[in-house]
Amino acid sequence: MIADNNTADQQQNGGKGEPLLPILDQPSTRRTALKVAGAALGLAAFGKAFSPLMVIPENVSVDEFLQQHYKELTDEDKKKVFARLEAETREDYGADVTISDPRPIPGVRFGYGINVSKCNGNGKCMEACNKENNHHRGVDQSYIRVLEMSKGSMDMEQGSTTYDHTVPQEDKFYMPVQCQQCDNPPCVSACPIEATWQEDDGIVVVDYNWCIGCRYCEAACPYHARRFNWELPEIPADEVNPEQGYLSNRIRPQGVMEKCHFCLHRTREGRAPACQEACPTGARVFGDLNDPDSDINYVLKNKRVFVLKEELGTKPNFFYFFDS
Amino acid sequence: MQKMSSAATTAETTNDALHAVRSYPGFLLWGLGQATNGGLGFYVWMFMLTAISLVGANAWANQVADGMIVTNMTDHVSWGLYIANFTFCVGLAAGGVMMVIPAYLYDDEEMHKVVIVGEVVAIAAIVMCTLSVLVDLGRPDRFWHLIPVIGRVNWPVSMLTWDVIVLNGYLLINLHIVGYLLYMRYLGRKPNPAWYVPFVFLSIIWAISIHTVTAFLYCGLGGRPFWNTALLAPRFLASAFVSGPAFIILVMRILRMTTGYAAPPGPARTLIQIIRVAMSINLIMLASELFTLFYTGGAHAASARYLFFGSHGHYGLVPWIWTAIACNLVGTALFFMPEALERGRVRIAACVLCIVGIWIEKGMGLIIPGFIPSTLHEIVEYSPSLTEWKVTAGIWAFGILLLTVFLKLIATVFTAEMIAGSALPASD
Amino acid sequence: MRPDASSDSNSADQPGHEPAATANSIQERPEFPVEIRKPSGPPRVSTGLSDPHGNDVTVACSTCHMTRQPDHQNKAVRDLDEFHGGMAFSHGSVSCLSCHNSNDYDSLKLADGSRIEFTDVMTLCAQCHGPQLKDYKHGAHGGMRGYWDLTRGSQIKNNCIDCHNPHSPQFPKMQPTFKPRDRFLEQPRTEH
Repeated sequence: MIADNNTADQQQNGGKGEPLLPILDQPSTRRTALKVAGAALGLAAFGKAFSPLMVIPENVSVDEFLQQHYKELTDEDKKKVFARLEAETREDYGADVTISDPRPIPGVRFGYGINVSKCNGNGKCMEACNKENNHHRGVDQSYIRVLEMSKGSMDMEQGSTTYDHTVPQEDKFYMPVQCQQCDNPPCVSACPIEATWQEDDGIVVVDYNWCIGCRYCEAACPYHARRFNWELPEIPADEVNPEQGYLSNRIRPQGVMEKCHFCLHRTREGRAPACQEACPTGARVFGDLNDPDSDINYVLKNKRVFVLKEELGTKPNFFYFFDS
Repeated sequence: MQKMSSAATTAETTNDALHAVRSYPGFLLWGLGQATNGGLGFYVWMFMLTAISLVGANAWANQVADGMIVTNMTDHVSWGLYIANFTFCVGLAAGGVMMVIPAYLYDDEEMHKVVIVGEVVAIAAIVMCTLSVLVDLGRPDRFWHLIPVIGRVNWPVSMLTWDVIVLNGYLLINLHIVGYLLYMRYLGRKPNPAWYVPFVFLSIIWAISIHTVTAFLYCGLGGRPFWNTALLAPRFLASAFVSGPAFIILVMRILRMTTGYAAPPGPARTLIQIIRVAMSINLIMLASELFTLFYTGGAHAASARYLFFGSHGHYGLVPWIWTAIACNLVGTALFFMPEALERGRVRIAACVLCIVGIWIEKGMGLIIPGFIPSTLHEIVEYSPSLTEWKVTAGIWAFGILLLTVFLKLIATVFTAEMIAGSALPASD
Repeated sequence: MRPDASSDSNSADQPGHEPAATANSIQERPEFPVEIRKPSGPPRVSTGLSDPHGNDVTVACSTCHMTRQPDHQNKAVRDLDEFHGGMAFSHGSVSCLSCHNSNDYDSLKLADGSRIEFTDVMTLCAQCHGPQLKDYKHGAHGGMRGYWDLTRGSQIKNNCIDCHNPHSPQFPKMQPTFKPRDRFLEQPRTEH
């Protein structure tokens, strides 16, 4: 056997005279020449096949590639990251933006209520979310979906999000669904790299620069709350909302997950979320669950409240209620 | 031929070890040489596989550049052909254990000679699994986030982290076993059981774990009632122990046809006995699922209703699932025929039917209906886009390419042994 | 979810209503007011004429109503045979003079007959719609703009007639104008 001879040679020569490439050590035959030609052709084809991947080094800087998880960034790191992102936004979208990083207000725990007696399905909340959060204009994305449900049933199978008629219809009621910011979030358990987690004020956030886009969290979420960036978001420069939060409404990269974040760049400054301000029927109530005098606590104490899919044990911080 | 530089035993062992280390690059390059040697048929086969792999690679590269919009996945059906294929390939990998158990736990001598085929099928299958997951990532450039210590890993809570650990571990175990055995044969030495038998026993447990963990990925999600069943992990194992051995039987058949390396008839018979039992268990579990879903009815049967009968005017998966069930039933019937225990067309047909049936049932018939209806009960149908088909074909082509290379090496090594007339080449 | 013992109370919900817990609680920051939009005063009727500056000439309600006797028999729009006919009126079983002040048509009246300005119409509404007022005070009716946290900014709330036409108060029907265009609604991109 050729193999045994080689090993015997190596043994005797103590490693000297060892052929570098046994293939080339074979007598030059047509076979060898063909193999070399084949290898060259194969390498060329390999290079050509993978060439579209060159877009990665073009679009992803070394800093972005090496960027650590949000929780491991120092304040110095964050300043650099935000400056880099602002510069990239200016270059890619033609818009000057400021990226901030508001931290949870100590002692606050956010709760959101929807008055199902008042919601008439007009969808202005979806529109406000789209404008506030720099969503991809290609599909008019929004974190909210409004379900038109049949009266007398909570069965979502009879519900529809694609209604397009005057609202409210006599025999229907309306339920907007968005991220429930659960206290036992299945998405956080699912994420293999902790790219999503619940913060101290109850908001479940995503680090868009850490997410690898495996979409396990999207499979895990029972509320259809999470969205994936199937392509690069497109927003005209004049529609970009320049007040951006790192964990909230900055323009997301391609291939990462995103979701409703209770407009934390607003709510952590004490402002109402965009969907609440836009609601023309006053069906939305937002506030601090830890404040006994807050609007949301008034609702929880005085109204008939339910949560969606309670049996799954997700413990949402999003409540639905009726006028008494 | 080994020469001892001195009579001392320790020097001998040191020499052996040094020799082994120094010879390793030679071994690898020898392997490369063997892998590129063959007849015209071999070259055509390898060329085809390479071409398909590169088509798939290019399709994937375009997907990375343009975004996953080139697939037909949506926010409603967010996992598709890639994960379906992944699920099936994990089963294939786990199936190799059905050769290992008779060989090592029951000292089946005949099986011992061919168990390495099962192990290389496992290696190729695991590589296909890893590739299937890699192509499904939205940001493959951030792959390093999954690596412990340098990334940030949500272990032990996230089932995906367990999956990464067990799949890579299984790959390493099998690579070690196969690599060690091949290398020892190459060196002309008798393999030292201490170096591989513990790993073999480890691989038995590990094989069960890879498919159990993969099942746990799905069945732990409360928001997906179609998956949220305790029966999912046992069903996965049962179907894995059909598809894996069936695939191995087909591989051994092809090996016999192309290299003349004929395994004794016993191992295939053992595998078929295993398939008979596993398939029966699989069908019983399927019946149990169908009863529980359809007898109770209600919302948690919505996905099953869509899958088997269509729902609200959408019937996309109905032909798929009924084809799968037909394939599985006919395949099982064929396996139970006495002719299946002999070499012949009945056996081959049964294997092919069961593999196809299980691929559909586990892939399109499990992953996709988990998303339909969506969590807000919307029905959004899914069928893979051309890009997804290309990438999946590329993954399979690459897996089969790897398998071919390994089988070539094995055939070369073991055929040489058989020609020499003993398990060991004459030494010293 | 532990209640925060030193939380600020979210009050100042009615104009002129003092924020509770001032002297006794420790307020780190002053509370911003809750501003309630006020109606602009009694409605004026356009005469269709213009003054030398080009502005519309409008008259107060009392311009006509001082010269006419109030008719307490008018209960529905069909009873109005001279003016204000053709308006939408659907407000339960109240009649015109339940709210309009027959002594001074430039004002309204409460249930006990006392006069109240048009700008204070919320008090009038609240007489009968107590539950809605209670909800309104706690942010569960009528919506808001501005800050949920009044230690950081003020809040603007609507008054009743910003949303409810007092003569036909049912919230009007709307047309949904924005819908996300999910991929499945459009043609699949089969060229890939």
